[in-house]
Amino acid sequence: MKKEKQVDAGLRQFIKDLGYVTGGAALLGTVPWLQSFTPDKLNEIKKEKARIGLIGTGSRGQYHIHNLLGMQHAEIVALCDDYEPNLKTALELCPNAKTYADYKKLLESKDIDGVIVATPLNWHAVITLDALSAGKHVFCEKAMALTMEECKAVYEAYQQSDRVLYFCMQRMFDEKYIKGIQLIASGLIGEVVGARCHWFRNNDWSRPVPSPELKRRINWRLYRESSCGLMTELACHQLEVCNLVTKRIPESVVGMGDIVHWKDDREVYDSVSLTYRYKNGVKITYESLIANMFNGMEDQILGSKGTMNLASGMYYLENEVGANSAIEQLLAQIGDKIFSAIPAAGASWRPETKKAYQPHPIIKGSFSVSDGMSMIGADKDGSDEMLSSFCQACITGEKGKDIVEEAYSASTLCLIGDQAMREQCRVEYPEEYKIPYMEF
Amino acid sequence: MPKRSQNNSKEKQTIQFSIKFKQFLSIFVRFFRGNNRPNLPKKMDKPCYFNYIESSATFHGAMQNIMGTRFDIVMLGKNREQSERIFTALRLELQRLNFLLNRFDVESEISRLNRRASSGFVPLSPEIWTIMCDCKQYHERTKGLFDVTKDDFSKLLFRESDHSVSFASAGIAVDLGGYAKGYALLRLQKILADNNVGQCFVDFGNSSILGIGRHPFGDSWKVSMENPYRLEKAVFEVDLFDRALSVSGNKPGYSGHIINPLTKKAEDERKAVCVVCQNPLDAEVLTTTLMIAGKKEKNDILKHFEIDKVYEYKL
Repeated sequence: MKKEKQVDAGLRQFIKDLGYVTGGAALLGTVPWLQSFTPDKLNEIKKEKARIGLIGTGSRGQYHIHNLLGMQHAEIVALCDDYEPNLKTALELCPNAKTYADYKKLLESKDIDGVIVATPLNWHAVITLDALSAGKHVFCEKAMALTMEECKAVYEAYQQSDRVLYFCMQRMFDEKYIKGIQLIASGLIGEVVGARCHWFRNNDWSRPVPSPELKRRINWRLYRESSCGLMTELACHQLEVCNLVTKRIPESVVGMGDIVHWKDDREVYDSVSLTYRYKNGVKITYESLIANMFNGMEDQILGSKGTMNLASGMYYLENEVGANSAIEQLLAQIGDKIFSAIPAAGASWRPETKKAYQPHPIIKGSFSVSDGMSMIGADKDGSDEMLSSFCQACITGEKGKDIVEEAYSASTLCLIGDQAMREQCRVEYPEEYKIPYMEF
Repeated sequence: MPKRSQNNSKEKQTIQFSIKFKQFLSIFVRFFRGNNRPNLPKKMDKPCYFNYIESSATFHGAMQNIMGTRFDIVMLGKNREQSERIFTALRLELQRLNFLLNRFDVESEISRLNRRASSGFVPLSPEIWTIMCDCKQYHERTKGLFDVTKDDFSKLLFRESDHSVSFASAGIAVDLGGYAKGYALLRLQKILADNNVGQCFVDFGNSSILGIGRHPFGDSWKVSMENPYRLEKAVFEVDLFDRALSVSGNKPGYSGHIINPLTKKAEDERKAVCVVCQNPLDAEVLTTTLMIAGKKEKNDILKHFEIDKVYEYKL
């Protein structure tokens, strides 16, 4: 198959450009996992290919296949699934790959540099641990694992291993998040005083089941044996962003979770509301509901001088005097010797209950915004880039700085949030699961 | 009847003389105080911002929280010193009017009128008397739709002899909300003309705008209005050359404060009305009025005004 344009070219150039700007090194210091993600580094390995084995060929696995096929430095050499129909579809996409029904057999292959694990959550830890012991580099989907114990086991195995381990938390490779995190670090919105994250959808979160005995396997997200529902599937991404921004880990959480609307035989909540509290009193208010999608998805960081809406790529400043107002536009026009209409006219009768803020894009030019509705993966959400970075690392052996630590932190936070809801109590971050990386 | 009319006109002359004498006296007093500022309470001082951009010889001045909104002026053709002096004059006038016309300030004349006029005639200062007479005229020219009582204008009783006003019943109050910004712009227009400002753009809370002369790189000042319900969509564009523009409309969060005094109902249709004409006060009064006028009333009202254009939009 003919390789199309490198899927990650835009972000690589973006990182390269970041390196050029004044203080570029310092800026990159806030996103250290991107240090090697440049066009030049990719050029160094242009004659090499990472030999990839894919474990799990469902919708997300196939999404990865499409991305891998667009990468010059990757080659899919093996596919594994114990669900035949998916494996067959995947094989049609990459007919030269060897197929396996048992992942352990795949791991025995000497022709594989790295594996991509795109399985239900309950398989993440066991496959990752086996793959690391088999000497493979591993790329796994969020969350890290279904339990705190498993998360810790994966983290410790990684510490002992010389292999590369990536957990797909795509926001770490999404341009608007990277730039937004840097703008926050630069003090643009002042001191971070709070965070409000939410993810709203309106669907039952289940997929058609060809025969009844497959129900729990296909709709694994809905059952406790394989998922913690909204927490491990959605909240995980958003809590990680809050940690990246605050550079801390919340020390406690309270929350409530319920099955409000989708009263089938599911075991996970369809409505969750939690408050995570950092040691300094800053709180993350987290909400997710899948029976109303009015509010969509947002990762909103509240600063003393402004607000950063990372998911929609916009920021807003408090008490902004005329910036970008019609008058500012007029002054800019005069300065630039331009004549055109300014949006000055409007109805302004009374002070408003909510102040109108001027939106500023985080990135100049066009960028992609996800509505958060796709269960497979949104376009240009950082997943392709993260995968590309992993494939590069499979060749160079360079570990992704902080990736595992951040994934561990976010995943365990989801799990203690779930615990707080199940036990209906405040849960402190357990001592035994703290790692040296964490600052509370 | 003719006799009475003669008497009236004599009385008018005396009153006018008395006004002029008072004005002269107040200027005389100020001159000897060595202070050309109106003597106003300190609380009226409003924070302001101004800047002169040397590269484009453009002055920008702004005030926050004046008449419940924001005021901006962009002025060209004057040097830094002249611009700052003119801006000071504008600012002081705005502060004075902000106090004078504010019914929420217990010390303002309007507020005093509202408190006392239901128990008898309250004598008014020359300026407030003129404003009240002006409001009466607008009430007539708009077929009763412009009503500063927002209730029943006929209950506002005028006594010419001592320039006083009373309310025929309790519960009546004067609200100059639909008048004040237009009046302020009219006053500012005069200050700008007296100072030979031939090129400037005044934006009073986005709803009352004055374009004097032209944009330095265009043949007028060009303004667009956004649909408050769909921000990305411009509703119209208009060119202002020595023209005022006023917009009334509701937007998300609209509190239903535009009330038809004849039906007593709040205007709740999603729409915007924009009037372009030379006189900023006419524009201000008309937009509020046209928000509630029926089709026939509209045509009748517009006959009494000199306007360039009326835009009306469903939002």
